[in-house]
Amino acid sequence: MIMSRVIPTTVGSYPRPPWFREYLRKVEGLQKEGGGGIDEATYAKAVAEVIREQRDAGVRVFTDGQLLWHDLLCHLATKIDGFEMNGLVRYFDNNLYYRIPKVKAKLERKRNIIVDEFRVAYSIEREIKAVLSCFTLAALSEDKFYGNKTDLVMDIAHIMNQEAKELVKKGAKYIQIDEPSLLYAEKEDLSIMKDAIEVIRRGVDAKFFLVTYFRDAERIFPEVLDFNVDVIGLDFVEGYEKNLNLLREFGVDKEIQAGIVDGRTTKMEDKEQVRRRVEAINEIVNGETLYVSPNTGLEFLPYSKASEKLKILCRSVGDINE
Amino acid sequence: MNRRLLPTTVVGSYPKPNWLRRLIREYEKGEISDKVMRRAYDDAVKAVVKEQELAGVDILWDGEMRRDEMTSYFARRIEGFTIYGEVRVWGNNYYPKPAIVDELRYKDELAVSDYKFLRKITDREIKVPITGPYTLVDWSFNEYYRTREEAVYALAEVINQELRRLVDEGANYIQIDDPAVPTHPEEIEVAKNSIEIVTRGVNAYIGMHMCYGDYSKIYPEILEFDVDQIDLEFANRGFKDVEIFKEYEFTKDLGFGCVDVHTRRIESVEEIKDNIRKAFSIVEPKRVYVDPDCGLKLLPSEVAFEKLRNMCQAARELREDLEG
Repeated sequence: MIMSRVIPTTVGSYPRPPWFREYLRKVEGLQKEGGGGIDEATYAKAVAEVIREQRDAGVRVFTDGQLLWHDLLCHLATKIDGFEMNGLVRYFDNNLYYRIPKVKAKLERKRNIIVDEFRVAYSIEREIKAVLSCFTLAALSEDKFYGNKTDLVMDIAHIMNQEAKELVKKGAKYIQIDEPSLLYAEKEDLSIMKDAIEVIRRGVDAKFFLVTYFRDAERIFPEVLDFNVDVIGLDFVEGYEKNLNLLREFGVDKEIQAGIVDGRTTKMEDKEQVRRRVEAINEIVNGETLYVSPNTGLEFLPYSKASEKLKILCRSVGDINE
Repeated sequence: MNRRLLPTTVVGSYPKPNWLRRLIREYEKGEISDKVMRRAYDDAVKAVVKEQELAGVDILWDGEMRRDEMTSYFARRIEGFTIYGEVRVWGNNYYPKPAIVDELRYKDELAVSDYKFLRKITDREIKVPITGPYTLVDWSFNEYYRTREEAVYALAEVINQELRRLVDEGANYIQIDDPAVPTHPEEIEVAKNSIEIVTRGVNAYIGMHMCYGDYSKIYPEILEFDVDQIDLEFANRGFKDVEIFKEYEFTKDLGFGCVDVHTRRIESVEEIKDNIRKAFSIVEPKRVYVDPDCGLKLLPSEVAFEKLRNMCQAARELREDLEG
């Protein structure tokens, strides 16, 4: 059997370096959403730092750590015309809160969303995944305009398509769509999302990741296998047995990004156990590459623990490739 | 407990005076001795206790001048916790998230000396707020215990020891702050068991304060908790949640959050009177305790004072009406 090449990557968020956290607290205050008044050189220094942390741990495909993102939604929503931000709500089962985006008018992209941040990261490191979201942004927003989910998701998909094109012009090779909400979706949502991905990808020459987390992927199988993406990200911390069984049952001709260490606890995994799990997954999948990662972004951890977690991940799989 | 009608109280925290904040910063930089800092805390407590007395609060606490935050403050004083660093709650707001790395054991008192100091400086009734084990565990990492449940129960034993000590020192009203409970309706049994452990052999009036979460998902189950009073926020939710509690007979005393701590707007006496009357549709007036939704620490002190003063005046006027 030919084993896939195992490549460690991160999912998205990385805890802000403590000095940068203080800096943002100063320039943005405690209440305000979004950026503004942030010095690019200071930001670049912080991004360089979290990329270095990832690299030193052994990560090979990076994210910029989403250091300016206050949550998955508001960072995208505040840059898109038609959204307004509302009160705080709990983010899935985390002790973390996000501001509900409210859709008040037709959604339009009148400016860059994450392109400027990508540019900074790309000047430091070429192997960067640019992270966007579509279905989750729609699902967790309060729609006061469209009145039906399909139109809302499709308009967001068009916006993400424009953004993806712009990202590719700036050098992006990898586009990741984060969709935790898809794991809570109904069957009809899956066909909406399948179409949405066609829209997002249109004319975009990049490798597409669709990444899910916070629970097993039972609700999206087997439909997700027909989505036009190159890599599917699954949470093997919250749903190890179930996800393994899904892959066995339905087979998979795409690459997998396996969230294999728990990004939400400071408890460090046993390296042997992680290695065995990666090997078990590797026996089932047959893509060229098996990406391994924490199951979620790392912002749930204190700064010092994020790199420790990545080292556990990278060292556990270190000898698999040899 | 035999109290007058509509006793007024606070949830716990009060704004720290600016001079205290500055001294804390200097203390953290090592520029001030322990002794001077201790005196500063004592002075701050005296000042905010006086403010609460002037506002007319019947049952008060020390404003939590010595507490920086409601999770890590306790975690630092309990064996088995460590703190690696800060974790985000939302936006630019972070807190030092504790991690359980060893067996949880009683190490140091949590509120006994605060209580004793306060007892010396006021004649009013005192309520001692302490964060509940369920919330402390929910807001911490667990590296040591096999399950959350085990961690919660172990911590409940620790808190129980503290409550017994408090009662030995004369405390007769303890409030368990458990805002995480309504955010996990699926673990309501664990929370309930934890309160049973916490209150075992504790001869005092016990309140339980819960903000956050969806109350409809934990009601009427919370009526089975082994507490005398349930204290909830209502003003922040526009009193819509009153309906939830009308559905079943409310068999506890009700701490009724009637003043919004998330806005600087100072509610008028008349408005607060109307707010308090809404509580009477849940329980009869003699079971109602009047308080703000939550701690006042995020408000400017003048605003906190005005809100409390109007709240106490509103309770006083209603009391007179009811007693005829």
